Amino acid sequence: MIDRASPFAKNPKGFVHSLPSRAGLERLLPLLILVVIVAAIMLLAGQLGIVQQRRITLGFISMISVVGLYVFMGNSGVLNFSSVAFMAIGAYVSALLTMRPQVKATFLRDLPDWLASAQFDPWIGILAGGLVAALVALIVGLPLMRLSGIGAGIATLSLLIICYIVLGNWTGVTGGQRSLMGLPTYVTVWNAGLAAIGAIILAFIYQESRSCLALRASREDEVAARAAGVRVVRERLTAFVLGAFICGIAGVFYGHFLGTLRVENFYLDPTFLYITMLVVGGMRSLTGAVSGVIVISALAEILRLLEVGLRLPGLDAAIRAPAGLGDVVLAALMLGIILFRPQGITGGREITLRGLRD
Amino acid sequence: MTLEASAITVRFGGIRAVEDVSLRLHQGEIVGLIGPNGAGKTTLVNVLSGFQRPRAGRIALNGEDATRWPAHRFARNGVVRTFQAVRLYPGMTVAENVETALVGTGLGRAAARGQALEILNYLGLTGRAALPAKALSYGDERRVGIARALAMEPRFLLLDEPAAGLNIGEAEELDRTIARIRDDFSCGILVIEHNMALVMNLCERLHVLATGRTLAEGTPAEVMANPAFKDAYLGADA
Repeated sequence: MIDRASPFAKNPKGFVHSLPSRAGLERLLPLLILVVIVAAIMLLAGQLGIVQQRRITLGFISMISVVGLYVFMGNSGVLNFSSVAFMAIGAYVSALLTMRPQVKATFLRDLPDWLASAQFDPWIGILAGGLVAALVALIVGLPLMRLSGIGAGIATLSLLIICYIVLGNWTGVTGGQRSLMGLPTYVTVWNAGLAAIGAIILAFIYQESRSCLALRASREDEVAARAAGVRVVRERLTAFVLGAFICGIAGVFYGHFLGTLRVENFYLDPTFLYITMLVVGGMRSLTGAVSGVIVISALAEILRLLEVGLRLPGLDAAIRAPAGLGDVVLAALMLGIILFRPQGITGGREITLRGLRD
Repeated sequence: MTLEASAITVRFGGIRAVEDVSLRLHQGEIVGLIGPNGAGKTTLVNVLSGFQRPRAGRIALNGEDATRWPAHRFARNGVVRTFQAVRLYPGMTVAENVETALVGTGLGRAAARGQALEILNYLGLTGRAALPAKALSYGDERRVGIARALAMEPRFLLLDEPAAGLNIGEAEELDRTIARIRDDFSCGILVIEHNMALVMNLCERLHVLATGRTLAEGTPAEVMANPAFKDAYLGADA
């Protein structure tokens, strides 16, 4: 850029030095609080039985995915129904890389030889799952990121449908409509919790970046952001790719948590569940994304217990809710939030010691 | 340095919004763009900032063809505009509104945070830094719009009705601010304005549009003496 006279002396270093370290710490506080909360849930889960541990593990996987969804949808304000498609891509990529060759030979006849005969480390599967999802996001994002509003909603929903149909019919590679069985089930509450913390840290670093500030400006007013030099398509694409990477890793964990992949596991049900979590928590802040997962997961668990029949100590009869109550309550909660608190329970703000703040 | 529009034509359907208009803005001068409602003033500013592709004609920045540049490229090359409706980022604080523009010029976030306060101070907005933009009064909102534009380090500043909705006192103060910005930033300023008294005072040159065409141009005194201008803009009996 050409040198220009400015009455404001540009001295970035001076500001960094004059910045009190307390202010720096205060900016990190939302991240620290969220990490402590997740770590506390991990420790709590360690004290619980195996069934509850699995429930919490599933909650952590949802958390990774919702954080990935937040990175794009929260910061850009653009509707996105495709996050579960990227989970599916991550899950299947990791499955194909980490399954035992004998198992692959039984189910999958169209794999290339190098893949059919190989079995990679789980780490490779996690990374590759995230990276392939990110790569697909980069390719489809180039045309898609020009859209916003209903156009973006329809386009990303189409993406989810395409992904579902391709995975469901590419029988020689994905197993198609049959289940793909025999994934190594290495996922525990510990590594899922750590992955959730990793996703939160990644999202926080991104959110503090210049790129994200520009993206948020375009969310507030796209025209004004362009007038301020924001390359809207490029900033959206950055968030879309990063979000897909995180969702891809969520998919890897989901696959290796279940041990069996079915395409139905990566379709509308989880899509709407994750969007509900993000909207209920407050999609404009990372705190909102994380707290939405915690609140909805806890609520869903309570409702599930009620549906099964909850026996309270000292009470003879079990309290039993009608089947299907869980879904109804979640839908009603979503409706209530949209009507009465559209910024979600956090109001779209980050958490600090003094309460929720911008 | 010059921002130059040559023989610009813009049509919306069958309507000629701007027809064969040429305008030149030099660094360090203030040019008033005036004309009745619907004359094509905002459309011309849209063309000059990359928000509207002209049907015909050419935009040049320092001789370089900028006709097909996207809006963000104009902004990044120092051609910065404001909006008649201001268009702040409502959910962000005043400081963040300015920081966003600063990081667009390549500043880091920490540096932008400090410099945003300086710019707000320059415009007398220090006390507003932490407020959400949607909580501002109308006058403050307009000044934050200008602060955001200044953060882009403009070489050419295009102000679309900056005084709209301000009372006389506020508008006069805004005029002094615009003159001060020209002196401090040595940028060229194009200002759309309806208030003739303010325009006469502030601008070295005027460019008058009516129904999309150039009606008159020159110094304020020349334009005022122009019979076509008297006829069309002030009314025949003025």
